[in-house]
Amino acid sequence: MQLRPLLLKAGATAITLGATLLSALYVTAHVKNPSAPLRPSVLNISASVQPSNVQPVTSTYAS
Amino acid sequence: MGTSCSLFAAGLSTIELLKAEFWVRALAARLTRFDERSELARFNRSAGAWVPVSAELEALLRESLRAHEVSGGLVNVAVLPSMLAVGYTRPLSHGPTAAALEAVHPAPLLPSVLEVELGRALLASGVGIDLGGIAKGWMADRLSERLGANVLVNLGGDLRARGDGPAGAGWPVSLGDATILLSGHGAATSSVLRRRWGDGLHHLIDPRTGRPASSGLVEVSVVAAAAVDAEIVAKTALIGGPELAPTFCAAHADAWRLVPA
Repeated sequence: MQLRPLLLKAGATAITLGATLLSALYVTAHVKNPSAPLRPSVLNISASVQPSNVQPVTSTYAS
Repeated sequence: MGTSCSLFAAGLSTIELLKAEFWVRALAARLTRFDERSELARFNRSAGAWVPVSAELEALLRESLRAHEVSGGLVNVAVLPSMLAVGYTRPLSHGPTAAALEAVHPAPLLPSVLEVELGRALLASGVGIDLGGIAKGWMADRLSERLGANVLVNLGGDLRARGDGPAGAGWPVSLGDATILLSGHGAATSSVLRRRWGDGLHHLIDPRTGRPASSGLVEVSVVAAAAVDAEIVAKTALIGGPELAPTFCAAHADAWRLVPA
């Protein structure tokens, strides 16, 4: 009867190792692309610039 | 200047605003490459000879050299041959001309082809420069100095704000889809989304290739200490791409917005 726990442990170990191996294969096949675009657009503001809800008077977009 | 310009000022007379407009128009006429009679066009034809230059052109040439240094060469005004090759041979309001990209080549390093001394300058033969955004930013900064303590100048999207604005908290300007308050700052946006035509053609040249920039960023907006600084940082970040832009902007800008492709 001690065989069943051993089989269960072996099975769990095999599944764990298999999942680890598959994960490693997936990660190495999908290497991070340093040129990948940032998403979404990112606005960074330092302390010297304040955001506002006031209607803007103009824009940096040239026409 | 081939683009829209706006002046906002507190406490200025109409005469002073008209003088400011005249100053912009007169200087823009001297700095345009589209008029063969302009000072810039004549400088582009100087073919390696030392020629006298006005104080304004001298200042802009020095600013161009500074931009080249700060940007690590990514902002390089010696890209005129490439601009002509992509069809930007006349004001875009007249439409681009046919592109001929076969002969484009990387731009020369600016310090190797441009020398500036007091009152004179030398441009190597076969090289052409376009002052474009550098001129807009520099002019916005100079004009704001002339107009007084509470003013906002917008020359083709290059902004310079001084003073506390209309309500005492700064000048509210649009930076992409956000509104921010500027006081003592400059701002600019570099974009490949607006002035574009054909198959991937637009006006922002990557000097490393001589071709329209394709970096993974399509638009960068920047707030910096001055309009010309914002122009330089925005263009550097856009051409440099998403690997360079965050670090470069963090080092040189007070606010920045990056739009990916």
